[in-house]
Amino acid sequence: MKIGSVFTIALHLTRLSLILFVFWLTFGWNVRKARKAFEKQLILQGMAKKDAKRLSANYVKLKNEIMSTLKSSFLRRI
Amino acid sequence: MSQEKEKKKEEKEEDVEELKEVLSVVSKEVPSLIKSIIASVFSEEAGRDMGKAAAAFYKELKEAGMPEETAVKMTENYISVFTSLGDILKRAGKEKVVVTTGKGEDIGEEISRKIKEKLAEKREEEEEEEDED
Repeated sequence: MKIGSVFTIALHLTRLSLILFVFWLTFGWNVRKARKAFEKQLILQGMAKKDAKRLSANYVKLKNEIMSTLKSSFLRRI
Repeated sequence: MSQEKEKKKEEKEEDVEELKEVLSVVSKEVPSLIKSIIASVFSEEAGRDMGKAAAAFYKELKEAGMPEETAVKMTENYISVFTSLGDILKRAGKEKVVVTTGKGEDIGEEISRKIKEKLAEKREEEEEEEDED
């Protein structure tokens, strides 16, 4: 029973790590898509491309902050 | 002496069982929770909606006769409210947040107590079934 439990724990941990890894991989792509859609709307209303890019940089800033917060909280627990 | 060893062994087995239960819940719930939180901010649709809101704000300013530079600056400030979410997360990461139940107990302790109770019930049921067999 104990070996079974340890095996199940290892399985759950592997599953969790894999899901988090896939999430990390897709996160950047989602940010890019959101940023592009955001820029497009601003440009459609007549804003200069340069200004729209500057405003959409907030998305990347937010992404970096979220990633650093997650990393530091994980590292602190380890 | 042997009784003590037995007791310790039982305690260890209980801990492993508890960890197994907790991880099974965590591996199911946590990824979906993170995904939904992130998708609400970082998706094409969310980006488009946010862009529409900012663009409408910018357009109104321009139509009201605001100079281009000021309108962009004000739209930037409007958007920075959205990025303050990062600051909130940072603060939440640094501070230890204790969530309490209605009775004022720490919710972590409450969950741990509930899990222990459920495990004990499950074990009793299993023992009863074994006795019946």
